[in-house]
Amino acid sequence: MRLFSNPMQALPLILVLLILAVLLHLGFGAKQISLMTTLNAFINFDAQNFDHIVIRQMRIPRMITAISVGAALSVAGALMQGVTRNPLADPGLLALMSGAAFGVVIGASFFAIEADIWMPVLAAAGALAAAVLVALIVLLAPSGRSPAVLLLAGAAVTAFLSAFVSGINILNEESFSTFRVWLSGSITADAIQMLPYAAPWLVGGLVLALVSARQVTVLSMGHEAATGLGVNATALSIRLLICTVVLTAAAVAMVGPLGFVGLVVPHATRLLVGSDYRWIIPCSALVGALFLLLVDLAARIVMAPVEVATGVVTTLLGAPLFVLLVRRVL
Amino acid sequence: MSHFIYRSKHEAISFRVTSNVPVALLVLLFGLGGLLLSSLSLGSYHLDLAQVWHTLISAQPGETATTVIWELRLPRFLAACLVGMMLGLSGAILQTVTRNPLADPSLVGVSQGASLAVVALIVLWPAAPLELRPLIGFMGAITAAGLVQWIAAGKSSSASLRFILVGVGISASISACTNAILTYGQVNQAAAALSWLAGSVHTASWGECLVLILGLLLCLPCLVWSIRPLTGLRFGPEVAIGLGVNQRRDRFLVIALAVALAALAVSMTGPLGFIGLIAAQLVHRVLRVGVGSHLLLTALVGGCLVALADLVGRTVFAPIQLPAGLVSAAIGAPVFIALIFRGTGPKQF
Repeated sequence: MRLFSNPMQALPLILVLLILAVLLHLGFGAKQISLMTTLNAFINFDAQNFDHIVIRQMRIPRMITAISVGAALSVAGALMQGVTRNPLADPGLLALMSGAAFGVVIGASFFAIEADIWMPVLAAAGALAAAVLVALIVLLAPSGRSPAVLLLAGAAVTAFLSAFVSGINILNEESFSTFRVWLSGSITADAIQMLPYAAPWLVGGLVLALVSARQVTVLSMGHEAATGLGVNATALSIRLLICTVVLTAAAVAMVGPLGFVGLVVPHATRLLVGSDYRWIIPCSALVGALFLLLVDLAARIVMAPVEVATGVVTTLLGAPLFVLLVRRVL
Repeated sequence: MSHFIYRSKHEAISFRVTSNVPVALLVLLFGLGGLLLSSLSLGSYHLDLAQVWHTLISAQPGETATTVIWELRLPRFLAACLVGMMLGLSGAILQTVTRNPLADPSLVGVSQGASLAVVALIVLWPAAPLELRPLIGFMGAITAAGLVQWIAAGKSSSASLRFILVGVGISASISACTNAILTYGQVNQAAAALSWLAGSVHTASWGECLVLILGLLLCLPCLVWSIRPLTGLRFGPEVAIGLGVNQRRDRFLVIALAVALAALAVSMTGPLGFIGLIAAQLVHRVLRVGVGSHLLLTALVGGCLVALADLVGRTVFAPIQLPAGLVSAAIGAPVFIALIFRGTGPKQF
């Protein structure tokens, strides 16, 4: 089922919605700022005007963070769903996020690595380890390759790593206070400080994903079909795994684990553009950015002046979809 | 295999015990005794066995040893044992009813439901009396369990995997709510709730033990009753109906019992993951016995496991205490993975 017969038709809609979301995201919040003031903050910035400062110092960083994280996680999710041929795949559900969080927390509390530049590296190392672990379990299990085994392996590895993370947080008060908010996943204006270090990973991952998009479509038809069509399926799977890990690591390093974004967005995108990954991957990036902008907006407005953690909102939105998909797939 | 069969007049009470059950029982009781002695003697204030014995027999009020054993270590050991027993029983019942070797209170939303309710209680009403926790926890747990059951119901082809995966999804949303409460509660209350969430018996006092003992005593008649429906239910709904089990009613009641046991345990010490899973599977793999003996042995294994996890958690990194829940999760997750490898049960995967 899809809403547009030609993917080309969906693109303008997505772009218009994205621009609208950006404007809404800049304008609404604890303090409402009019459209003219927002535009003026760009065109003729006035350092004395409080609204201009809010826009420039708070809202724009958040907007950029939401857009980059949303794009990264959604593309990572789309790649995973294509490679594993499993509609339930998601960087969070398959333990990549808890792996990344594990890497960062271990690095910070055991090796005292707290410089921002190392965060994506630690996150990537942790995510890679977790991904390899899950992949090994699935490949070695006698009846592996079924969607359920993949998810159970992900759940087990997540439980295992989360136990260590909370253990460290209990033993180390300092780590608890540092990571408390980060571990529940939240988009903040401060996250922009991580962007310069996460950006290379982000851009690299996205470019690699876009370049590989054609082959993902082939791979999503199955290993045999892909091999028959002249794709080295194993090498491609490994390349895409690394791409997923890189994207997840960049996103986690910036805002912490945001569950279910990678699950929800590719499914929504498929409704719009069908099952060709040449369209799904770039459109997932756009829809993911749109999704996180709206989530962040909701998180700021719903219980204002208190902000709800972004990870809580994405999980509350995504988990029902996951349950729905489980009902359909199994 | 030799066995012993008891039939009362008119067969109101009848059971069959295979000969290996008493042996296993004896081994487990010895194990529990050994754990009791080592739990009482090991720790930052070391006591040798003679002192332990002396203090247990004739406690002198005011002595350090008396305080350490009677106020700290004994209630802690008892609480660990009782919680382990309840989680083991809960896991065994869930595995039998759902015919799923992977069922565990922490995997099907029960623990998370209880956690959410109790964390909300800790953060929103810190002064709430201890006795309120099991009630609130039970309400949270039964809601979560009902939700999972309701959503997972339907096609029967791969019902058990659906059950677990729906549980994973529901657990995620419940944990998100718990997280939200933790993040926005005051820091000190959040820290208290977090250490509770990691599943720890280190704060256990006689108050907790009393609640646990009373709860277990209340559940005991229900457990004895549940053996008969469970015996039928473990063969699947069709056979159970054929054996004269009121399938719908009994299934609901038995699951409610499992939820109540888990909720009680979780509300006292926080969620201890995987205990029910490991205990029930351990017994199942070593001994193939009837449901009654299975429940009894699983309870003892569960008690031993939590007591051991607590002992390991507080001695290995002494003076730092690791919560028993973390030790159990660190051991339990690999066991869970091993179970996936073995692909047990009636064509699960």
